[in-house]
Amino acid sequence: MIWAKEETLPRAEIEKIQLEKLKQTVSYIYEKVAPYRRKMEEEGVKSEDIQSLADLKKLPFTYKADFRDNYPDGLFAVEKRDLVRYHASSGTTGKPTVVGYTRNDLEMWLNNVARIACMGGATSEDVAQIAFGYGTFTGALGLHGGLEKVGASVIPMSSGNTNKQIMFLQDMGVTLLVATPSYALHLGEELRARGIDPSKDLKIHIGLFGGEGMTEPMRDEMHKVWGEQFVCTQNYGMSELCGPGVAGECTELCGMHINEDWFIPEIINPETGEVLPPGEQGELVITCLGKEALPLVRYRTGDLTRLMYEPCKCGRTTARMENLSGRADDMLVIRGVNVFPTQIEEVLFKIDEIGPHYEILVERKNRLDVMTITVELIDDRLLDGYTKLNELEKKIKSALKSQLGLATQLRLVAPNSLQRFEGKAKRVTDLRKDGL
Amino acid sequence: MIQQLSVFVENQPGSIMRVTSELTDAKINIRAIASFDTPEFAILRLVVDQPERAKDDLTSKGFVVRLQKVISVELKDEKGNLNQMLEVLAKGGISINYIYSFVIRGDKAPVMVFNTDDYEKAEKVLKEAGVKLIDEADL
Repeated sequence: MIWAKEETLPRAEIEKIQLEKLKQTVSYIYEKVAPYRRKMEEEGVKSEDIQSLADLKKLPFTYKADFRDNYPDGLFAVEKRDLVRYHASSGTTGKPTVVGYTRNDLEMWLNNVARIACMGGATSEDVAQIAFGYGTFTGALGLHGGLEKVGASVIPMSSGNTNKQIMFLQDMGVTLLVATPSYALHLGEELRARGIDPSKDLKIHIGLFGGEGMTEPMRDEMHKVWGEQFVCTQNYGMSELCGPGVAGECTELCGMHINEDWFIPEIINPETGEVLPPGEQGELVITCLGKEALPLVRYRTGDLTRLMYEPCKCGRTTARMENLSGRADDMLVIRGVNVFPTQIEEVLFKIDEIGPHYEILVERKNRLDVMTITVELIDDRLLDGYTKLNELEKKIKSALKSQLGLATQLRLVAPNSLQRFEGKAKRVTDLRKDGL
Repeated sequence: MIQQLSVFVENQPGSIMRVTSELTDAKINIRAIASFDTPEFAILRLVVDQPERAKDDLTSKGFVVRLQKVISVELKDEKGNLNQMLEVLAKGGISINYIYSFVIRGDKAPVMVFNTDDYEKAEKVLKEAGVKLIDEADL
């Protein structure tokens, strides 16, 4: 099923909608959002300069750092009384990236998620188990609301607690699972280990995955553990843009359809900022159309991909983005949570008993991401006994947990045992290959 | 009371040797050594003949080193002697954090080293019971 007629319009009509909304968005953001108005003035761009979609490139970029510089709500275009929801995701430092929604924004967002759910095969017949963590992240409540719009019965399970996940999958006749692809693989293998064959013993047949990329080898593994009947698609979004609902794979599995009547995608060279021709790989830049609380123009997503404009066999005519092929920055995705090494650094630098050097190792063990942070012990007072060393470990782990929203492993090593770098340090080692 | 060195070592082949080889190069004599099985790192405890110099030397080579006071007790090499000392401590309500013995002491009687949170009381009950405490000079 295709949720909205806007997904199947001829290109000329999509572009007509985009141009009209773009003009409104640019005038709106200029009028309401002082930090962006200043950027436009510095660049000498006026709202009237935007007369075609090609004029988009005249506008200045918005960066994640703009959220930090204007924390918490300096980029908002409406008053608090007009907001009905806040969400927040990782920031590059201690402060999160806060986003807000008006009632119309929520409606737009959840309709876009409903489109994505339909792309992946969801219908009102489905019983959907949401295994994303609830809370300030947009993933769980986004899919939750979108699937309710489709008419599915939603189980707000949240993440973790594999035993309970399995009980609900069995007892509630769950047909659709929302999770990160790595957690879905972990869960599938747990089912198999308990002698449950999802293709025979469960009603599950749809997986809607997000929070992290799903590679083709992961999709193959997914079919091995969940069965050949399992249709698994991935979708794309980020809280700054609205959350999930920006783009999603249809069951043809040939890229993620972008909801182009709400989001204009561009691909740029991340070094120079120059717009690249269609089909080339570069950093995805998104302009949000029609958002009230948090209009965003030319937002640098940091994600590397490629766009395809040919209509799809599914009947949709919207542009598709390829599987993400990496990041233009050093952001890590750990169990679906975005982590910036600067966040970790900020925590470690405040702890006097350890030195300034650290290493971050990311591995996938038993399908789940494990992040190990190695630090050098420098304070000899801790050698009075193991209790003090254990207390230090606990203190660091708990500070990291509250900063990142993630549990990490910690390794204490002797001073001078970590590698020293001249110039740019390479502190992160990511051993995950193809997401497996 | 004597001085003990505590050195942070990782659980890796050669990590204890790196400490002893530094001490050897510095011509420092090791009297006692102890370390226990722990998952990722260990605190290596040493009694040496020149503790201050050993600490400076190891620290300058990048080790994390702590100097601490510990109680050392001379025991006659006879059945029941260790038990007797422990009984004194137990009756005095002294909790032992860890305990180890000297490796070499020439012709002299064996020495036990132990760590507790309550040195004053430990010394008092041991002296009252006639147990011989050892100072640096007696080592």
